[in-house]
Amino acid sequence: MSGYQKATAVLGMLLLFLVIGALARQERQPEVVQLTPTLTGQPELCLTCHEGIEEISPTHSIETFGCVLCHGGDGLALDKDLAHATMRGGRNPSDLVVVEESCGGSACHSGAAADGRDHIHRVLTSVQATYAGAIAQVNYAFGGQADTTAHFGVTAVEDDEITTYTGLPALAAFHPGPEAPDPVQTFNRDCMHCHLSAAATQEPYYYRATGCAACHVVYENDGLYRGGDPTTPKDEPGHGRTHQLTTAIPYYQCNHCHNRGNYSLRQMTFLEREDLPGSPYLSAQDQRELEYYQPISQFTLCEWELDCVDCHTNGEVMGNGDIHSNQQEIQYIQCRTCHGTLTEMPLLETITDPDHPAIYSADLNPNYSVAVGDTVIATTEGETFGWVQWDGERLVETGKVDGRLYEVPLVMGSSCQQNPDEQESAYCHECHTYERTVTQP
Amino acid sequence: MSRPNFFEHLHPPTIPAREARFRYTFGLGGMSLLLFLSLIVTGVPLMFVYVPTAVSAADSIRTITYVAPYGWLLRNLHYWAAVLLLLTGSLHLLRIVFSGSYKKPRRFNWLLGLAILLLSLLLSFSGYVLRWDVDTYGALTVGTHIVRQFPVVGDWFYRLLVGGTEIGDATLVRFYTWHILGLVVPVLLLVGWHAFRVRRDGGISHRAANATAGKAPRIPRRELVQREGIAALAVLLVLFTLSLFWNAPLAPPVDPLAGPLAEPAQIAAPWFFLWIQALLRYWPPLLAGILIPLCVVGILALLPWVLDRQTEGTAVWFHPSGRWAQLVVGAIAAGIIILTIVEWRQ
Repeated sequence: MSGYQKATAVLGMLLLFLVIGALARQERQPEVVQLTPTLTGQPELCLTCHEGIEEISPTHSIETFGCVLCHGGDGLALDKDLAHATMRGGRNPSDLVVVEESCGGSACHSGAAADGRDHIHRVLTSVQATYAGAIAQVNYAFGGQADTTAHFGVTAVEDDEITTYTGLPALAAFHPGPEAPDPVQTFNRDCMHCHLSAAATQEPYYYRATGCAACHVVYENDGLYRGGDPTTPKDEPGHGRTHQLTTAIPYYQCNHCHNRGNYSLRQMTFLEREDLPGSPYLSAQDQRELEYYQPISQFTLCEWELDCVDCHTNGEVMGNGDIHSNQQEIQYIQCRTCHGTLTEMPLLETITDPDHPAIYSADLNPNYSVAVGDTVIATTEGETFGWVQWDGERLVETGKVDGRLYEVPLVMGSSCQQNPDEQESAYCHECHTYERTVTQP
Repeated sequence: MSRPNFFEHLHPPTIPAREARFRYTFGLGGMSLLLFLSLIVTGVPLMFVYVPTAVSAADSIRTITYVAPYGWLLRNLHYWAAVLLLLTGSLHLLRIVFSGSYKKPRRFNWLLGLAILLLSLLLSFSGYVLRWDVDTYGALTVGTHIVRQFPVVGDWFYRLLVGGTEIGDATLVRFYTWHILGLVVPVLLLVGWHAFRVRRDGGISHRAANATAGKAPRIPRRELVQREGIAALAVLLVLFTLSLFWNAPLAPPVDPLAGPLAEPAQIAAPWFFLWIQALLRYWPPLLAGILIPLCVVGILALLPWVLDRQTEGTAVWFHPSGRWAQLVVGAIAAGIIILTIVEWRQ
């Protein structure tokens, strides 16, 4: 063979290898999974990689919503970086920075209060988002402001429709300058972690998302993913339990922020509770009893047998659309809401309207249902507890998180010696405090 | 004897051995031709999937890249062939300058070659725009804004290019048509003419007969074709290697109504115009975007008439007669390379 022929043969062989390489790469191209959600009509290929991921909720069915409508991103790109580059809020489209784009819209969660679609406005004005109560208390305590009324929030917020006498028109963003008292500056630097926009501490018990998902996407205490998305590592903490929104929010989800410890204003630092984790040999029930409240707390049996959301309603937790100086301004659920008093039965309402919010709320929860004709607990603020129903003789509560049934004892006709004017839980605790049986190792 | 066909015209029965050596031409003209043909071969199948509308352009690029069988390969080949073409084309120009091959009687063919290179740049830019994503949209915005700076005819020229006053569907379809037709056909004709003129001007540039002692040795057509075959295989090897392991870039799409969905990358200009982007940082668009590039083109075009009118030194590397031409073109090339690197690292 001449030199030319040899060179040709070698180059030809190499080229052949590359052509085979191209065939191999084509073989390895993923089998495309295409979805065309009815709301957008635009094809998406996200499930090519994420096939097996949980539907976010039955009310946001994947066939209707798809992925891109909420998450943004480049739904036709099968390159991870490109596909994810334009996602809203990273992994969490409900982060309050982007919530208006992803969850909002007058047809969705930023419509009128009358239609029950003002969720975003309520959350943005709620104390959980503004952190206004803590800011006002600390700023007042250290001389940064003259009263305990809130003037500042995590971010500036306005409310042009005040409905309660404690409602405020606006809060400015809290940015204490160098002229602010030192403790206030320290507070601003070290203590602004307990609100819906703050990223969670990346440690067991603290894992959670921000925005709506901070409550509605359940995180296990270990922060590990237990769902079916093949791309989410199962051994990497910091993921929700599954890719699902829920109203069946267990107590430990609330505890990712609440009951984690205490802020010491003297030291201007957060003192983490030291009794966790308990012994690994505790039963689930004992574990719950241990974790639920801090050791010094007073609580009754129902306050830890039930989950937080069994009493603390949507209106209390997400706010009523007004800006408040303190969470207490909108806490109105008391023991009497379900148990009544010596002289009064709890308020009851019989559902007659098929579009009643109680029915709508029940449809969002897998553990209880409400139908026209059912008689349920009503509150002084016009909310209903669809999961606590009067069957004509007894009041029965269905756990929103686990579906367990409890008969609700009534004060009326009991030997309770309460003073009718003393209905706050502290008075009930005087007799009904539950003695913690799980002790600290 | 029958009239030689075009292939035989380009490949005479014998050619001078010295100038047929790879180390003389580096095969850059032939490589450029091969890459140009590769661009047509890979570009035509892409046209079956690509949709030149603002709403669908980015989607169809994604269909090509991720869904269509071997779409990724065609797109990668098309992209890398374009990159390599600009490199081989530019190096070909430098070879011509440094080996004194632009001299009379090849002055007209020098112009043809320069025109081909300029049209190749426009082809590359129009192809870049067809991606219709935040990066290319940014480049398009900047590029058309520069056009607007043209004295007197700027606005008219801008509207002609953009198809109205705003970038949109009309712009995309115009760039598309330029890309697949309006620029390709002239380049094809010019390439043919350019190759034809090589023979017409006396074959590949070679030393004057009186510069060689005795008769210069020659090689037969068969050997030339073999060498070309090997060079072609080598080019295809490089092209396939790049296409197999490095994907053509893509950026987040542009919302057809609201504009870009994300901030364009720091680098918005395509790589071959980074040097102009670098100039735009310091100087006004009229100077940096129009006058300086026009000056470069003007200097290059007039080079055989102004910088070096001699015929002595043809086919001799770095012959003193072409000193000024070599210096000026070398300085321009160095400037462009340095500015490109600086801008790349920004």
